[in-house]
Amino acid sequence: MSRLGEFEFLVLLAVLRQKEAPYANHVREDLEANAGRRVTRGALYRTIDRLVEKGFLAWELEPSEVPERGGHPMRRLLVTEEGLEAARETRTVLVTFLDGLGPVLGET
Amino acid sequence: MRPPRLASRLLARAFRGDPAAPAILGDLNEDFVRVLETRGRMAARLWYWREALGLASGRVAHGLAHALRSFLRPGSLGEDAVHAARTLRRSPGFALFVGAVIGLGVAAVTTVYSVLKPLALALPFEDAHQLVWISNSEAAGDSSLSAVTSRTVNLIDFRAGTRSFSGITGYDAFFASRFYTLAGAGEPESLVGVGVAHDFLDVLGVRPLHGRSFTAEEGQRGGPAAVILSHRLWRDRFASDRTVVGRGVTLNGTPRTVVGVLPASFDFSSVFSPGVEVDFLLPFVVSRDNAFQGNVLALIGRLRPGVTPEAAQSELTTLNAALGETDPERWGLGAELETLQDHLAGPFRGSLLLLAAAAGVLLLVVCVNVSGLMIARSPSRAREMAVRKALGAPRGRLMRQLVLETLGISLIGAAVGSLLAWLATRVVTNAAMIHIPLMDSVELDTSALLVAAGVAVLTGVVVGTIPALQVAEGGEAGVLQAASRGSSASRGARRLREGLVFAEVALACALLVVGGLLLASFRAVLDVDLGFEPANTVAWQLQPGTPFESYGEKMAFYTRLGGRVRAAPGVESTGLIDGLPLGRNRAWGFQVVGLAEGEDTDEQVFPHVVDPGYLPTMEIPLLAGRNFSPADVEGSTPVVILNQTGARRIFGGEEEALGRRLAFWGPWEWEVVGIARDVRHLSPETGSGIEVYFPHAQMPDYGPMDLVVRSRLPSSQVVATVSGVLEDVDPGMPRHEFWSLESTVAGAVSDRRFALGILSAFGFAALLLAALGIYGVLSQTVAEREPEIGIRMALGASGPDIVRRVLGRMLLLTAGGIAAGWALSLLFSDVLDAVLFGVAPVDPRAFLGTGVVLLAVAALASGLPARRAVSTEASSVLKSP
Repeated sequence: MSRLGEFEFLVLLAVLRQKEAPYANHVREDLEANAGRRVTRGALYRTIDRLVEKGFLAWELEPSEVPERGGHPMRRLLVTEEGLEAARETRTVLVTFLDGLGPVLGET
Repeated sequence: MRPPRLASRLLARAFRGDPAAPAILGDLNEDFVRVLETRGRMAARLWYWREALGLASGRVAHGLAHALRSFLRPGSLGEDAVHAARTLRRSPGFALFVGAVIGLGVAAVTTVYSVLKPLALALPFEDAHQLVWISNSEAAGDSSLSAVTSRTVNLIDFRAGTRSFSGITGYDAFFASRFYTLAGAGEPESLVGVGVAHDFLDVLGVRPLHGRSFTAEEGQRGGPAAVILSHRLWRDRFASDRTVVGRGVTLNGTPRTVVGVLPASFDFSSVFSPGVEVDFLLPFVVSRDNAFQGNVLALIGRLRPGVTPEAAQSELTTLNAALGETDPERWGLGAELETLQDHLAGPFRGSLLLLAAAAGVLLLVVCVNVSGLMIARSPSRAREMAVRKALGAPRGRLMRQLVLETLGISLIGAAVGSLLAWLATRVVTNAAMIHIPLMDSVELDTSALLVAAGVAVLTGVVVGTIPALQVAEGGEAGVLQAASRGSSASRGARRLREGLVFAEVALACALLVVGGLLLASFRAVLDVDLGFEPANTVAWQLQPGTPFESYGEKMAFYTRLGGRVRAAPGVESTGLIDGLPLGRNRAWGFQVVGLAEGEDTDEQVFPHVVDPGYLPTMEIPLLAGRNFSPADVEGSTPVVILNQTGARRIFGGEEEALGRRLAFWGPWEWEVVGIARDVRHLSPETGSGIEVYFPHAQMPDYGPMDLVVRSRLPSSQVVATVSGVLEDVDPGMPRHEFWSLESTVAGAVSDRRFALGILSAFGFAALLLAALGIYGVLSQTVAEREPEIGIRMALGASGPDIVRRVLGRMLLLTAGGIAAGWALSLLFSDVLDAVLFGVAPVDPRAFLGTGVVLLAVAALASGLPARRAVSTEASSVLKSP
């Protein structure tokens, strides 16, 4: 987890899960619905900024026809190659540490 | 349905410069619509506000934390400091000018702090908070000295019967009327000494510089005759000779041993009797023998550690009740505690508060002015910053450099301010005419310098960092940069500058209104009818060289002296009194002869002992009856002259009073033979109480006399002539103690003059800064609008048209500032009410006068830019790129 914080890791994974429509709002909904935590808008935007600074995430603005957005563009989030690499590393660390802990954690 | 406009604007502003901002706004919009559909309009709007505020505040906090982190990153701090210094050196004029303006504000605050410190913050005594003043009664509104003093018997009983105090002491409150002649080498000199209880210095916590304080034995009747010299007397008269301790001196013919010298840090007169120099302390006998005199002692107590004034007060109240029960005849039993600090500072609290507020307002004017100067400079700085940013300088570094520059300017400000404050405090301490306690202790000490530096840095950081942030961010600077090119975006920048001018005018206006009110009040005090005519008079303190053997001898001496002086060339008339107006204070009780028990009043009279020449010489008219005559002597019917207030209050009228009799102490009944006009004896602001004049030929109880001489000759000539006569009459009498009554009047209004002086300086400085602000803004506006003006001129606009256009707006702005300033000065009215005399805090003359002055100054300051506007050449403007 050296390069990614827990929440950063979750955000990165959530972006990857959105496939067709990787936008901040969808990422937030996914996290709230499936990670069981409340995500404030500010925290999400700051994490996105941080991931961009670290080079794990990039984004581009694209015009949106969705009327609810009131003419504002959308921000399409993209996980970079480095971001994928960092996610893989984190997964490896997690798997290593979980190995053999099944009985302790009550896994059936 | 759109989200709340203000909230989304706020959000856009918080995220200004962030390329993701439009998407973030869109995200929020999208969710807003969802909330609107599920929970309704009101809930959606609330939801949006909450989200927007959360986002915006998080963003600002994050930005600040980031800026602070990069600012504090050590790295190349030294390099940045050098760069900042170099930048300042590149435009030394700007740095010095802004530094000087900051210095002005710093000096105002520092000087006022230094002046307030000894009186309002820290009395120069050890654990000064334990010191309390014990008045004789709840003397609310009673300004006579007898109301704040106590009887010696009270001191004895309070010492014995209380446990709240580690010590209670006192001094002879009426010392100012007792004079001593120090005999020895050189001219005889008239000196002032104060009788103090033997433990006076110990209770105050003052240690003598040399020698010791008085012993209990020296405070006994018949004890060793001792004296403690003031630091000044020791320095001037004894050339700071340490060996003076233990030596003998002769005071009024009595040999005394010098047992100590007071330290320079404790000047009795500066604390307790500003305006009356005190040269030495004598032991005051506190014993049952003299215990039953009137209220002669000023009592000061030191509370034991941990005892509150309230606890001590209730103990004294209980004690007094018990004492009163034991001896129902006992009078003057009262004790009202207040801290020594409150007692000394109380009468000046209003003025001091006002000065502090005024210094604060001036500092605000300075801040606004410096902001204006900084902002005016930002366009050029913004270009430089943009270039450096493009070359890769991180934002933190740029900000750090700008803040360092501001700090550099602040340091210049601190230096200028300290220098000005030092000069100002010198002026204050050397102004001998200021009768405010502890003015001698005013000094620019370390704490004052720290205040100066703190204020300078704070000012610099407050006014310098905000433009710095904007420049570094490229936010507002963008607008200003655009302004400098004269584009349409200039309106915002102009509004900002005009807003600053508006604020400056408003603040300056408030200061000037207060200054104007003080001036009007000062003039009202000077215009008070004192009841006597101070012009063309010189007065002497008469201190006969040898004590008189008998009352008859004393009488004869003064009569002879009066006659000799009256006969001197150029002298129109002379008078003798035991204490000229505006200098002395005492009170006697009295009874009206012929009134039944119980019909008496509790009122007190202010007694004066005079010769027949006094009332005519002072030009105090008689309203009824007659003046004293040479026939009113010992053995004939005792007579008095009552003042108008006395006649009305005691007898209901002037004619009714004539022929009635009054009794004071002693067996005599005094017949009222004349009614004199009221004289303001205590201060110009205090109305006369009941005053009684006794002929010195009939009333033996008087100390040294004051001689007043009326003459049309120049005072130097009068002094030479009269001094010669005095020397002739009594070679042992000091003759250099003279003054004009006009100077006495000036001394009585000195605290007003002091407050007025400082406030005028502040007001003037604020006016100057406001003028500068107006000039600066208008110059910049004219420069920006040159193309427009050129086109207008080309299209046939006349010079006056242009002037009207340029000036009109500025005068409108000034008028608005004046109105705001008027409103602001109304906030001062409560404080002012306590300070002003004869003028209402809403006096229209001060308000209108200030308005006129400000408008005139605004017109003057606008003159030059307006002329430049008129001389704009249409062709040159249109040709320029």
